[in-house]
This record gives sequence, C-alpha cells and structure tokens, in this order.
Amino acid sequence: MSPSEHWRIERQPGEVIDRSQPINFTWNGSPVTGYSGDTIVSALMASGVRVMSRSFKYHRPRGVVTATYFDPNCSFQVGDEPNVRAAHRQVREGDVVRAQNAWPSLSFDVRAANQLVGRFLGPGFYYKTFIRPQTLWPLYQKVLSRFSPGGEPPPIGTPHEIFDKRFAHPDVLVAGGGPAGMAAALGAARSGASVMLVEEEYELGGHLRYGGVESLAALASLRAEVASFDNIEVLTDSVVLGRYDDNWVGIVQRSGMWAKERLIKARVGTLVVAAGLIERPYVFEGNDLPGVMLATAALRLTGLHAVKPGTTAVVFTANSTGDEAVARLRSAGVQIARVLDARKGDDVVRALGRGKVTGVEAGDGSTTEADLLVTATGWTAPTSLLNMAGDRPIWNPQAARFTPSELIDIRVMATGGIVGDGSTAELVAHGRAVGSEAAARARGEVPQSVAALTPYPHPALFQSTTVGFVDFSEDVKSKDIVSAAREGYDSSELAKRFTTSGMGPAQGKLEMVNTMAVLAEATDRDFESTGTTVWRPPYAPISLGALAGRAFEPERISPIQSWHNEHGAKNMVAGQWIRPEHYGNPAAEAANVRSRVGIIDLSPLGKLDLRGPDVVKLLNLVYTNSWDNLAIGSVRYGVMCAEDGVVMDDGVTGRLGADHYLMTTTSSGAGNVWDWLEMWLQTVHREWQVTITPVTTALVSINIAGPHSRELLSRVTDIDLDPASFGYLKVRTGSVAGIDDCIVWRIGFTGELSFEIHVPASYGLHVWQALLEAGKDLGVAAFGVEAQRILRLEKGHLIVGQDTDGLTLAYQAGLGGLVKLGKDDFSGKPELVLQEARAGDHSHLVAIETVDPMLVPPEASQIVVNGNDIVGRVTSSRMSPTLHRSVCLAHVPADLAAPGSRLTIVLTNGDRAEAVVRENLAFVDPEGVRLRG
Amino acid sequence: MAQTATTTGGRARTRGRAARYSAFDIVRRGVTHSEWPRSFNEHELRTTYDVVIVGAGVHGLACAYYLAVNHGITNVAVLEKSYMGGGGSGRNTAIIRSNYLTPEGVRFYDRSVKLYEKLSVDLNYNVMFSQRGHLTLAHNDASLRTMNWRAEVNKLQGIDSSVIDAKEVGRIVPYLDVSADTRYPILGALYHPPGGIIRHDAVNWGYARAATHLGVEIHQQTEVLGIETAGGKVTGVRTSRGNISTSMVINCTAGWASTISDMVDVKMPLVTHPLQAAVTEPVKVFLSAVIVSGSLHVYVSQTDRGELVFGASVDPYPSYSMRGSLEFTEGLAAHILELIPSISSLKLLRQWAGLCDMTPDYSPIMGVTPVEGFLVDVGWGTYGFKAGPVAGEQMAQLIATGRTPDLIAAFDLARFADGRLVGEKGAASVGH
Ligand SMILES: Cc1cc2nc3c(=O)[nH]c(=O)nc-3n(C[C@H](O)[C@H](O)[C@H](O)COP(=O)(O)OP(=O)(O)OC[C@H]3O[C@@H](n4cnc5c(N)ncnc54)[C@H](O)[C@@H]3O)c2cc1C
Repeated sequence: MSPSEHWRIERQPGEVIDRSQPINFTWNGSPVTGYSGDTIVSALMASGVRVMSRSFKYHRPRGVVTATYFDPNCSFQVGDEPNVRAAHRQVREGDVVRAQNAWPSLSFDVRAANQLVGRFLGPGFYYKTFIRPQTLWPLYQKVLSRFSPGGEPPPIGTPHEIFDKRFAHPDVLVAGGGPAGMAAALGAARSGASVMLVEEEYELGGHLRYGGVESLAALASLRAEVASFDNIEVLTDSVVLGRYDDNWVGIVQRSGMWAKERLIKARVGTLVVAAGLIERPYVFEGNDLPGVMLATAALRLTGLHAVKPGTTAVVFTANSTGDEAVARLRSAGVQIARVLDARKGDDVVRALGRGKVTGVEAGDGSTTEADLLVTATGWTAPTSLLNMAGDRPIWNPQAARFTPSELIDIRVMATGGIVGDGSTAELVAHGRAVGSEAAARARGEVPQSVAALTPYPHPALFQSTTVGFVDFSEDVKSKDIVSAAREGYDSSELAKRFTTSGMGPAQGKLEMVNTMAVLAEATDRDFESTGTTVWRPPYAPISLGALAGRAFEPERISPIQSWHNEHGAKNMVAGQWIRPEHYGNPAAEAANVRSRVGIIDLSPLGKLDLRGPDVVKLLNLVYTNSWDNLAIGSVRYGVMCAEDGVVMDDGVTGRLGADHYLMTTTSSGAGNVWDWLEMWLQTVHREWQVTITPVTTALVSINIAGPHSRELLSRVTDIDLDPASFGYLKVRTGSVAGIDDCIVWRIGFTGELSFEIHVPASYGLHVWQALLEAGKDLGVAAFGVEAQRILRLEKGHLIVGQDTDGLTLAYQAGLGGLVKLGKDDFSGKPELVLQEARAGDHSHLVAIETVDPMLVPPEASQIVVNGNDIVGRVTSSRMSPTLHRSVCLAHVPADLAAPGSRLTIVLTNGDRAEAVVRENLAFVDPEGVRLRG
Repeated sequence: MAQTATTTGGRARTRGRAARYSAFDIVRRGVTHSEWPRSFNEHELRTTYDVVIVGAGVHGLACAYYLAVNHGITNVAVLEKSYMGGGGSGRNTAIIRSNYLTPEGVRFYDRSVKLYEKLSVDLNYNVMFSQRGHLTLAHNDASLRTMNWRAEVNKLQGIDSSVIDAKEVGRIVPYLDVSADTRYPILGALYHPPGGIIRHDAVNWGYARAATHLGVEIHQQTEVLGIETAGGKVTGVRTSRGNISTSMVINCTAGWASTISDMVDVKMPLVTHPLQAAVTEPVKVFLSAVIVSGSLHVYVSQTDRGELVFGASVDPYPSYSMRGSLEFTEGLAAHILELIPSISSLKLLRQWAGLCDMTPDYSPIMGVTPVEGFLVDVGWGTYGFKAGPVAGEQMAQLIATGRTPDLIAAFDLARFADGRLVGEKGAASVGH
C-alpha cells in the first residue's frame, strides 16, 4: 500500500500528529506510513484504508464508527497482542498490524457467505439447531467456535512483561479530563485538596480537543491553569475502572515509561465523575457500511489527525455537533452533498452500497451520491461509575438520554455532559463549583448542593423506518431484538441475553440505549418500564497482567534453606513454604533417627506468642482439653475444633512465664489459627487481655530426635537436660550453641526422645551447623519431611488434614481422650456433646496391617464391603524401615473398628487386598518408653 | 406491530404448542420470513394452584418441567421476583461434572450429567453441552491425595475419572505451564473427560419453554412475600401481585433460600456468600478443557466464542451483595497467569457476582421439612447449576409420590440434627 497522503489535509490548529516524524508499520503485510501521534486507525484512514474489519457473524466489511477506544470495528492484532483498540493505540515503528476476523483476506472473506444465509442466523439460532443427531454436536461446535470474534491468543512462551501497581489517597479524584473535569480538578485544587485527574485519551481536553478555534483557546488556558497546580496529578491514557465500596477506586494507567500498564488503587475522598457523553449511532439499513460514521468520529479524524474521512458527504444532524461536522468537513475539502436535519423532520432511511457507502436514501425518498455518511443523532451518558456507587439513572425524555438520579453517596459527585449541557463557560463554571464542593466534602464538611446543570432538549432518535444494526460487534440487528421480544425474551435482561446485544467489547456503551429503544417499541412500552441493564465493572477492559501486577506469589524459605540446597535436598511446596522433602534417602534418614539421632528444620511450624492475664481463657476456648493447671515450664498438646466439632488444627503450647505462652500450629494452619484466635478476641471476648504476635518467621525451629538426642544437645547447651528435672512435656529457656533465649521443649511427634528448639531466626543456620558439628561422632544427620512422616506413622500420630478431613470430629480421629466436655463452653462443644452421646455410631481412625506385609496400599485406597460399597479409606501408608512391613492408618466404620476386624481394600490399580485392624494406633513403641526416656 | 408482552399480567391466557426447532425449520422460516412463535406462554396469575414453586432458576424450572412431563402435574406456578435466570442460574460459570467425593454425591451428580447429555433432544432446545474434559490440578501432595481419593470413589461408582501426571496435563492443555520450576508446580490432575460446560441461559430457557407448553405457568416480576400455614400445613402464598392458595410450596431460591424458609419458621443451616466471576475479551479458541486449581483458588474455561470465563471460591464473608470487587480480579489474574503465563495481554471485560447458599458440608438440602407441604430444594452453594436436571426430576417425584427418592435421601434437612453430613468440601470449594 503506498503511503498516500491523499487523505491528509493541511495543518489543523488542534492536530496531535508530528509531521516531522514518520512512523512505518505494516497492515496485513503491506507497509503503511503514519505520523507520530497518529492512531493506527487514523494512519490507515490517511492511507485510504476504509475497511477495518469483518463482522463477527456475517463477516460484513466494517469501517470506522467512533474513532475512539470503543470503536466496535477497530480491534486489531498487533504483533502477538490480540484485540488492540486501534482507534486509540498510537502507531509505533515496526508494528505488525493485522485484521482479526477475516480469512483469507479482509477484501475477500470466504465467510462473508454467511451474509447470504443471514436470514437463518437470527438471534439464538444456535439454540434451535444442531440438536440432532447428538453425535454430530461436537462437530457443530467446532464450526461455531470458528465464529469467535477475537484475535489470536499470544503464543505459548510469551513473557509476562513488567506491570506495576500503586496506591493513592487523593482527596478528590476526577474521572474525565474534559472541560468540566479539568474545572472540577481546578475547583478542588484551589481549596487545597490533593487531586488526581484521570483522562482516557492521551491529552486533557475532551471534546474541546477536536472543537473549533474557540474551544482550542479555552482548552489552552484550562491546560495552563491545571499545569500551574502542584496538587493536581494528571494521568492521561488512563481509565477509572470502577468505584467499589467506600470510594475504593481502581485506575489503569495504560502507558508509562516504567511499565506496560499500571494499576492504581485509590482510596478517594470525593469521586467526581466527569465522563462526558458518548455519541450514539443511528439504526437504519446499511448503517454498518464503511463510510458511515459518527459526527464525533469525523471531528476527531479531521481535527486531531488531519485526515479527511471521505470525498462527498451526507450529514444527518440533530444537534450542534452535527452542524459543526458539516462546517469542519467543508473546510477539510469534503464536498457536502446534503445536510439532513432531524430537527426539521429529515431522516435517513438507508445507506446504499456494497462494502462501502455509495449513496444515501433520505426519508423523503430521494437519494444522494456520497462516500461518507455522518450522523449526529444523540448522546449516551456513561453513568457506569455512578451505577457502581448505587445510582440508578433515570430516562430523561426531553434530552433523550439517561441522567443520574439523586446521587445517594455524598462522596460521589458528577459534572459535565453526564449531568447536563452548557457552553464551555457554563461547563467550566459547573465543574469548578462541583470541584470545590468535592474538596469540602473530602474535608468532612456538611454537604452543600451545587446548582444543577441541565441537559439541552434533544430529539429522540434511535431508529429509522428500516432495519439496521444495533450492535456492530455482535452483529445484532434491530429486527433481531424485535423477534426476540416476540418469542418471549421481552424484558431488557432477557432480550439482551438472547440477542447478545451489548455483550461485546463496548459492553453496551454504544448499544444499550438503542437496544432499549427498539425493545420498548416492539413491546409497546416506554423507556421507564423497559428498564436498564446494570453496567458492571470494569468500565474499560484491563489486561490480566496489570491486574496481576509484578510478582504473583511470595515464597517462604527457612534461614537454613541454603544449607539444605547445598546438601542435596529435594524440595517440596508446602503452602507458602518451600522445604526439604528429603536428602536422597528418606528411609535411611528415618532409620538414623530410630537408631542414632537426626535433626529436622521445622521452621514452617506456625508459632504464636501469646501474652496477657487471659491467655488461659483463650486456650480453654479454642482447644478441646483443659489448660487450667499448666505449670510454668510445661507444654501440652491440644486439638482445636471448629464450631461444628470438626478437627481444624493441632499443636503444642508451652507456658514460658506467668502470662506468657508460645503456641505452635500446623505449618499450613498458621494463618488460619491466627485469624481464628483474633476472631474470638476481637468479636466475642473483647474484654480479654491477650496479645497475639505471630512469630513463625521470627523463630527457626529445629527438632533433635533419636536416642542420642540428649547427648547431642547437652554438648551445646547450658540447660540442665537431666530427665529428672527436664522431663517429657517440659520447656526450658537457655543458651544453645552460644545463642541466648532459645526455647527448648520435649515432645515427640516421631516417637523418639526429642527436643524441639526455637532459636531467633537469624541464628538458625548457626545452631543447625553447630548441632551437626557437635554430633558427628553420634551419627547425627538431617532428615526431611518424608522421614518425619514415616516416623510419625510408625508411632501412629495423625496429621490433621491427611488423617482427618473436612468432616472428621475429634472422636472420629481417636482424639476423644483430649475432649473435656466437663469444662465451660469451648469451640465445638455442643456438637461434640451430641457425638459423645452417640458414641460408637461414627467412623474411627484405626491402624491397620495388610495381610501381605510387603504390600503398601496407596493412600486414598478405598475400603469396601459387599463388592463396591465404600465404607472407609486408607489415609496414610508407608513401608516402615523399622518394622520392614507396611504401616497404615485408615478410616473405618464403627462395625469394622474393633481390633482384629478384617477389611477389604481396593487398590488404585483395581486389585483387592486384605487387612486387619490393630489394637493400637502405634506400630512402634506403643508404651511410649522411648519418648519419655 | 408490537405484540404486547410484559410480565405484569392482565392478559389473556394463551395456549399453544411449542414450535419444533430444527435446522429445517430455521431454513423454512428464513425462506418464508415467518416468525417464531412465543417460547413462553403468557398467563394471568390465578388464585389457586396445586403446586407453587418459588424461584425461576434452573431448579424451579426443571422441577416444573418434570412435574408436567413425568407426572402430568401441570396446575403449577413458578413465581419469580425478577426475571427467569436472574439468580445464580444466569450468573454461574456453567461447569458440569460428576467427579465428587462422596458416594452419595457421585451417584447424584452422575444422574444429572446423564440427563444433561440428552437434554437438548428432550427439550428440543440446544443447550450446547460441551463435554470437553475437566481437569482439577494438584500442586502439592495434599491435593494430590485428595485427587486420588476422588478418583478412587469415582471409579468405584463407574465414573470416568482418574489421576494423570503433569506431562499428560501438558499434552491436553499445552498452554498450561507444567514445568517443575514454577511457584506452584503442577504435580498431576484429576481428569474427568465427561465434565464440561454448558450454555446456562439455554438450559433455563429450554426448561421454561418446555414447561410452559405443557401447561405450567411462569410468573416473572412476582415476588413471594409470605407463606400462610394452618396447623403446621401450608395453605397459601402471599405475593407482590396477590394471594394464592395452595397446599404445596417448593423453595427453589438458592441464595435467598433462608429468607423464604424463614417465612414458615424452618431454620436451615445456610449462610449466603457472594461468589464472583469474570470474563475476558474473546480470542481464538486455545483452551480445550476446563481447568480448576484448588490451591490457586481459580478455575477457567473458554467458551466457543473465545472468552475465558474465570471463577474462584466464595467471598470469605456472608453478604447479599451482587457486586464484584477489585481485589477479586487482582487475585484471579495473578493466579491465572501463574497457570498460563503467556496470556497477560488478554483483557478482562466484565466481572459480576451471584449469591450462594452455603451449607456446612457443601452438599444440598432437599426434601421435606417440619412444615407439611413446604419442601426445599436449596443449599446449592457454588455447585448447583449442574444439579438442576436431577434435582428437578427427583423433587418432582417426591411431590408426585409423597416419598423421598433414594437418590436424594442422604441430602435431607434432618441430617444436620442427626450428624449425617455428606462432606463435599474437598470436591466443591473451588471447582464448582
Ligand atoms: C459466579 C457463580 C458461578 C457458579 N458456577 C457454577 C458452576 O460452574 N457449576 C455449577 O453447577 N454451579 C455453579 N454456580 C452455582 C449455581 O449458579 C447455583 O447453585 C444454581 O444456579 C442455583 O439454581 P437455583 O435455581 O436453585 O437458584 P437461582 O438460579 O439463584 O434462582 C433463584 C431464584 O429465586 C428468585 N427469588 C428469590 N427470592 C424470591 C422471592 N421472594 N419470590 C420470588 N422469587 C424469588 C431469585 O430472583 C432467583 O431468580 C455458580 C454460582 C455463581 C454465583
């Protein structure tokens, strides 16, 4: 394509292109040259391109309609990026731009044949066909998916570019940088407020930018005034996405030096919506032909980009914008073949032509030759931000548009076209008044009302006497809405859903009012009773990248992790943590613990520091057992149940001082338990004096386990480890490897004599290495999570969440001994009382032995009776390096829970195996001799 | 021109058979330019019905249809305070599957999948059921264990469901990052080939159309304000458009269920939470299966039009608000890009929320209540769309016979007092 400048007109006073900077890109493979400041579409228009896309369903050729971000016909593929709004996106050197929905080419699209069968593709046609034969439906479906209107997904391997986020707290946020919005920002800034002024386009100014000389003069002085205020932050090419509860506002900043897109989240004092007006297309036959466009589109193309959109034009006007378009086109050298004035009763009946406009038929039956038809038939107020603040706009029949009702939230205000009309001076005056009131409200002053801005009367123009497109992007015609209504889809919600009108990329901004108008007429109702549909956020589409931001998920690692990695650790993901599963041979690691001594890094263990005179009350409330008599220097194991009696967490809590406790939780439950305790303290027992500090990452936890553990620890600590003074379930503080204030307690998840030490985190690695060094001759070795799982299973200790599930009550988990129904109320008590009364009626956690000792039934293997009736399952299973046979825990029903009961297990490969219920949960050392030694 | 068609009553009762939908008929009407007849017959609200169904979501509509088609009970009114499908049935993400966790759940949902498979033909309305396969990803050994558990229960019930490894997952969905060095590596997945998505509106409308042509009445814009009882039995319903006498009321109002049950003082263990969802702009189809990640709290599918449909677990606090939040979309996008890193330039187009009536065990509540003539079909939480056909069928049978069918016996209201919960949290909290 030759970079023809034929369509470029002489320099315009408000043009935004830089003629000294040509930009080259390709369009469907052909080179195109535009200027810096051009949008892709304006550059194409300047080169004479008129067909921008093929429509979604009928593959009709389509051209520019609005020349804005929301142009329904100008979504392109730019490089690997699909659905780029090419009437907004500026040209960049080297861009590879392609049309999206055309095959094999834009000028010859095979699927345009759909037009011929168009009369069969009415609304919801797919609901009515492809029903039989059912076997062919998958094939039909493939055909339907060819209709997808979007571009190509980015190829696999496309990197996540840099996206960013920012928080802001402006006193006043103004959405929309037209004259009223700029004035509102000024009004607020003058009274000292911090202001954020957000404009969708690349520059402030709104409709003034493509207005006449007077508009441009007014714009220049407003811009200068805005620039003179340090307390106004201007964001261009940025959109307010939504207003959420309590004036929480999301803004996407689309271009910036630092990131591809940035999401700004602002807690706003007062939100001023100054979003202007969106020009509405007119519905008539041929209204989708390339060459039919809105008056604002013609003004933009000529005024901003100095592009002449046609040679000979017919203008259909009902307002001053249409009149202005007549004058502008004329001065741009477009021949005005005819002006049809709706205010005088003129009408457009159809645009003539195939693939482009060649003529226009007026309401009087006459036709005029033209390659451009410009319409100016009315406005839609983009009230969506106000809707999100709870406002239901009302139809204003005189102005033929929706306007906001009484704004209910005093911290949301509106100015400009969205509320009414006026001269530039009037708009600015209103904006200033609203802005200063917005600042006052942000300061918390009593709200004052601001004089209203009222809309001008406007003829109610929606559709001509002919059938035309209501929704270009969805290919919905007016008659589709009529037939939907006749078929019974006659409320606005049903009609919208059935025809999909307004469901496309513009989300109803162009289509909603016309859809309603057609529906109202078809059902003989007025606008009021036809209703509206709710505008849902976001106001404009936002990339997933911007929403996601920079980093997705934090990783937690222990301060000892570097050592683990250097020593062959195979790591695993455990919630937020990355931690060693084993160091090569978990069975050997376990065996070493049983015979000598091992150390494990338990840093992910949840840890909460509890202080205050009422800690015992809290412990009694959340744990099922009693905490009244826990002496200083002792620890106790506890089980937490939710209010429905289901086991939610377990762990050990030690009493370090009179009013000082350290609670440990499961690694994955740490966050939940903290929430849970705070919930009780903050909502139910606000009088209790308890301070909770999460110290999970402040302390490194190391467990020393095995027969030599006392010997090992004694070599590095000043704490007296003599079993007579430091017995099982006791806690001491002291120095370990030279580090003071370590907490050491004796417990035994592994079933061995063991000491758990909690060390200030920054010394964790030092203590770890000191233990390894000191215990060389004792055979000390690190062990990982897998070895720990084996050891605890041999000992018959359950893991919450593995051996229990979302329904397991304390009794079913074999934890009945820890439930003290005698104490005052505690979480889960009512349900547990009920269960206790029905003892025996529920499933039980038992240890089982497979008849074939070498068989390890996979976890999740089901226990069945009578063939395939499921009655239970294996929850944990391992080969025991200590016993050289498989060890398992399982849930079984009451009638199979007695020791000696025989079970049938269905293995995951379908085979069946026999097993027997054991007497005791512990396979190794059921008496606990090792533990207490 | 305009044939008047509002839902605000005052019009003659129309009768009529449904037009047959077929490709042939589409062509015939295209050629002759003849119009399609009304899909839903119009009725005046009468003062007495044998059965009143509250709520015109998929459950109420399906129940009405099966009452008429299976049992010949047609003196039935479905009352709807807004428009049909205006609740969860028009807001859900339309995932259909049967790979649940409990034997009771698996049997029940499997029946629904079977009904869905022939629903287009039964209703003569293409509901576009796309059995494209359903993958629940496991990112850690705990979720892998749950997947194995589900697979084992499923297999024993004859459901096509198995655990596959990461390589296989990558083969089915090449866009997923199945490499081992991601933050949440994909260790495997529960694969359920018959699972898929459906056109939710089509299901609602198909049932409505078939039911009204069998004589059932659907009254939109008709809000139930109270339920009358005498001697522990239902006697009538007060609505925004007048009173109705009836001896049988079915509560099919999902997110609003406790407000209806309160009218007869039947307390239910339901808490309503919002559930949010969002869609992107369309791109050409690249994602075949439905992908669920419990650890990342997201799921995604791609419609035939090319939009990605996203969902998550319920908002953490109870509310009747149906507005979306910004935080939801942020978390959603971050997690989706964790799974499918190459699509950060795709744009989110719309977000919304619906209401979910959550039960403690993530299973529904169906059947009789202490008030005679007041039945419930509620507790559909985040997972009830897929159950529309089976629940409708079984509830209709209960109404017609007075006996609770076996398939739904486990889901009775009394189970909460008796401690017989049917725990489905592990299979329904993120993947709906
Ligand atoms: C975002 C989201 C995603 C979901 N995804 C899935 C999914 O993928 N798969 C799945 O199976 N399920 C899903 N669900 C759940 C599913 O949508 C619901 O469980 C299901 O639609 C419930 O259907 P229903 O007919 O019982 O209720 P609804 O469809 O909610 O219908 C209840 C109706 O009752 C009406 N009503 C309420 N009060 C009154 C009154 N007083 N008088 C008259 N009428 C009244 C309401 O207006 C409403 O129309 C999802 C839900 C949401 C919100």
